[in-house]
Amino acid sequence: MLDQQLESLAASTRDRILAAATSDQLEAVRVEVLGRKGTLAEISKGMGKLTPDERKRIGQLLNAAKTNLEAALESRQKQFADAALNARLEAEWIDVTLPAPGPRPGSLHPLTQIQQELEDLFTSMGVAVLDGPEVESEYNNFDALNIPPDHPARDMQDTFWLADGNVLRTHTSPVQVRGMAKLGPPLLMIAPGRVFRNEEVDASHEHTFYQLEGMMVGRDVSIATMLYFMKLLLRHIFGREVTVRLRPGFFPFVEPGFELDIQCLICGGPGCPVCKHSGWVELMPCGLVHPNVLRMGGIDPDEWSGFAFGLGLTRLVMMRYGIDDIRHLQSGDLRFLRQF
Amino acid sequence: MKFSYNWMAELVSGLEATPQELMRLITIKTAECDGVEPFGEHLSNVVAARVLEAEDIPGSHNRKALIDAGALGRHTVVCGAPNCRAGITTAWVQPGTSLGGKQIGRRMFDAIESAGMLASAAELGINKDNEGIVELGDLAPGTPLPRLTPDHVIEVDNKSLTHRPDLWGHHGMAREVAAITGAKLLEPANVSLIPTTPSPVAVSIEDLQLCPRYSALLFENVTVQPSPLWLQQRLQAVGLNPINNIVDVTNFVMAELGQPMHAFDADKLASPAIYVRNAHQDETFTALNGETYTLTPASLVIADAKGAIALAGVIGGMDSAIGDGTTRLLLESANFHAASIRRTSSRLKLRTDASMRFEKSQDPVNTVRGIARAIELLQEVSPGIRMVGGLADAAAPSKPAPVIELRMDWLIRKLGRPIEASQVRNILEALRFEVKDANEGVFEVTVPSWRATKDISIKDDLVEEVGRMIGYATIDPVAPLVPTHPPADNPRRRHFRALRALAAAEGYTEVYNYSFVSEETAQRFGLPGEAHIKVANPISADQGLLRISLVPGIWRNVTENSKYLDTFQLFEIGHEIHRHDGPLANEVPHLVAAVYERHGNTGPFYEAKRLASCMLPGCETRPATAQLHEHPSRAAEVLWRGQTVGRLFEFHPNFVTGRAAVLDLNIAAMEAIGPVEKRYQPIRRFPSSEFDLSVISGKRALVGEIESQIVSFAGAMLESIAFLRQYEGAPLPEGSKSVSFQLSVAARDRTLASEEVAGIRDTIINGMRGLGYDMRV
Ligand SMILES: [Zn+2]
Repeated sequence: MLDQQLESLAASTRDRILAAATSDQLEAVRVEVLGRKGTLAEISKGMGKLTPDERKRIGQLLNAAKTNLEAALESRQKQFADAALNARLEAEWIDVTLPAPGPRPGSLHPLTQIQQELEDLFTSMGVAVLDGPEVESEYNNFDALNIPPDHPARDMQDTFWLADGNVLRTHTSPVQVRGMAKLGPPLLMIAPGRVFRNEEVDASHEHTFYQLEGMMVGRDVSIATMLYFMKLLLRHIFGREVTVRLRPGFFPFVEPGFELDIQCLICGGPGCPVCKHSGWVELMPCGLVHPNVLRMGGIDPDEWSGFAFGLGLTRLVMMRYGIDDIRHLQSGDLRFLRQF
Repeated sequence: MKFSYNWMAELVSGLEATPQELMRLITIKTAECDGVEPFGEHLSNVVAARVLEAEDIPGSHNRKALIDAGALGRHTVVCGAPNCRAGITTAWVQPGTSLGGKQIGRRMFDAIESAGMLASAAELGINKDNEGIVELGDLAPGTPLPRLTPDHVIEVDNKSLTHRPDLWGHHGMAREVAAITGAKLLEPANVSLIPTTPSPVAVSIEDLQLCPRYSALLFENVTVQPSPLWLQQRLQAVGLNPINNIVDVTNFVMAELGQPMHAFDADKLASPAIYVRNAHQDETFTALNGETYTLTPASLVIADAKGAIALAGVIGGMDSAIGDGTTRLLLESANFHAASIRRTSSRLKLRTDASMRFEKSQDPVNTVRGIARAIELLQEVSPGIRMVGGLADAAAPSKPAPVIELRMDWLIRKLGRPIEASQVRNILEALRFEVKDANEGVFEVTVPSWRATKDISIKDDLVEEVGRMIGYATIDPVAPLVPTHPPADNPRRRHFRALRALAAAEGYTEVYNYSFVSEETAQRFGLPGEAHIKVANPISADQGLLRISLVPGIWRNVTENSKYLDTFQLFEIGHEIHRHDGPLANEVPHLVAAVYERHGNTGPFYEAKRLASCMLPGCETRPATAQLHEHPSRAAEVLWRGQTVGRLFEFHPNFVTGRAAVLDLNIAAMEAIGPVEKRYQPIRRFPSSEFDLSVISGKRALVGEIESQIVSFAGAMLESIAFLRQYEGAPLPEGSKSVSFQLSVAARDRTLASEEVAGIRDTIINGMRGLGYDMRV
């Protein structure tokens, strides 16, 4: 009798558990059947009338039914929890393409970028980075670089003269003299910075531009070591091996002085409009430091020898990015600057 | 400087290089060439032709001419020249010639077929004479015009000749070409043409420093007329205008030997004596160009007994100029001190072909060569001309030729490649240095006079001579031996770099602005003109001052970019350049950032403040008196660790449409304060307690001030204080606001009891009430 009652209760309860549509309905079933005053409890109350053997047997059945139903309940409950979680996750859809809040990154000026890149290269080679003032004395800008007053070489650089007799430096070369005094031989230094020439501005001329001066003083500095250094530098700048040539160039602070040309990167030598059909592009002046300049820097030219070069950063930036109008660089126009 | 290929070929025997090849050789061995252009290409198609008949064409200003071109036959040519008449021999340009970009062929003019054309000297590119067709005198029809041949002109960059006085004439360049190619150099000047008899002209030089040599020769029976066409073409090719045979000869010698010359009309001189002296104060002088100059003793003049007849080394005088009636001339070939000529020419803003050469330090030996060459040419262009006496030649004692000791081992070390002593000797000798063996491996090198004035004085100069002649391409790169050590640090650059990286990461784009500012802009920004360094020679008036603030530049950036963009952020790092008592300027690095919003209100200001807090953690701002360009209620000083390091403000609405805020930081001031020393604090082990406080204050009370007052009452247990919000409006009384903070208090050694926390809170509340604030509790 109890056997049957128990069996049908278990069966009907299992059906009701499976049929429950919500977690609340399931809870109602649990309370009704397994609760402290539930059906199973009612059944166990009736066990007192049974023989000890019967009681033991029914007790086991009762426990088994209880365990089974509890497992079924738990499993069904987990289904509801899973479904609820899935529903929540699904509801939490977001548009991953929406722009992120917060500031958009700005950008560094292309001249800053190339200058930093070169500073890093040189620093990794043990080269000191030095600074010099933009307002220089006539002496530092010219005389100390072996360009005395009334030397026609002064015409090579149209100069901004200041009312106080100083000049806006026409090149970064004055830092050579400052560097020699500061570091002493042997030395390796560069000095990037802003320089000025009194020139009308047009698409290819600027009165304000950027140079990087370089200098090495050592015991065995020669044209050959200068070439080595220049090629190393250019390989890094252009990211590939470049063919160079030296030809005579006159700069009073070097002797001998050179113009360093690179083989045209556009046509590779046969000639094109970029290289004016010569196959070569003039890139930087360089040379062995004039003994007078070494002396001005307090270095004995009989013991030491040096080379120096001047790299036009403005020109390099224009070459690298294909900029056709130099005026963009100091226009402050964000439509231009944001491209870098 | 223009070089005629034909001219060079006349001076270098057996020159085989083509014009293009010659240009390449000059470029890699000597000086930079800007290009090579054909000159007078058409001349190979021009022959002499006799006009047999010439008749007017009715209703036209042209004439119909029948010409005889010898072996090339008879042709009908339509010609517009007034001098086209029977009997003359002129230049006939054959059909199929390209002339000045025009194709000459057989064309119909006035219904007559014209074969080719009869040409003026201007049309032939010989001079500027366009009055009529050339008249050639006695020349066989059909023959080429004498010594008029197509040429090429090589343009050499003047800057690359700055140190080479000898290359300002064709013969100097020919000397280089001969050394480069191994061909033979010819000498155009025959000094033996100069008579050795005394000169009737007395030359006296006041200062032999300023005029190391003055040579002169007197001529008579002179005929002034146009030069032969070949000579005119030569001058034209190198950019000199033909004038008359005498002036042309002086220019020809200058272009050939680099020696400027001048011819005076001897009959217009007041004396047979020439004085080279400093000008008198306010002495006036009318030059060949028609200008009258008032001189000072700083300028050197050539004078006769009456006054200045030439500005030494620069320009001749109008009064003694060669004219059609000239029959006697005094030919000057002199040498002047380079710096003196340069000063005179730049003071008078008068640069001439002569001054350009003299300022490069010409060779005094060259004056006599110039005279010798001129004699030969004058005899050709002015038949019957006679020399009167010999050479007047006043000169400083000649300087001994410089001798340079050149050690082979030193030379090899400088070049960085081995080289045989014999090769060094050959190279130097080809360049006309004298080379003697001094010791084992040591040469004594004597510098030729034309290289000794300025160009070559030390052994380093000889490295260039040898290097360029062996070819720099023969030097292989060699890795230098360098001691390796970390380079000297440059903290300022590191600082700049960190600031730039930060600004860019926070959304700011870097701009570069000029260092110049106009007086007007400076005034607009309340920057007194006299505080600036002035540019003595500005390009234009609006670039007359050096900037003492980066703000005007940034303002321009804001104004310009606001035309295209509704919001943007930009910054610049650059130098303010201030006057000061030291020898140079006081250059102060600044970072200036700007934030723009067309439709914003307080957004830009607080965004700029956010950037300040990124760069200077813990910085404070304090209201400041606004400057002209600043919003009067939105201007602040930026303080970092108690020191003023910059300014934060919004632009005055008169300056900007929309809202633009600016952060201006003095990087030098930031550096002076130095980095924050960091020290580890143990992490608190006991929990902290938090509570909120609201302060009712006047509407314009400063939150920063209220906060620091709270802090001062909170005592040592205060762990942190954070601004939460401020509120105005009901139910608060009009003109007041409520400011809320969250405070956190804690002790290092225990958990604070709730009575202790309440005690701190009460202390603050009482303290704030004591200051007159209302507290919401
Ligand atoms: Zn090319």
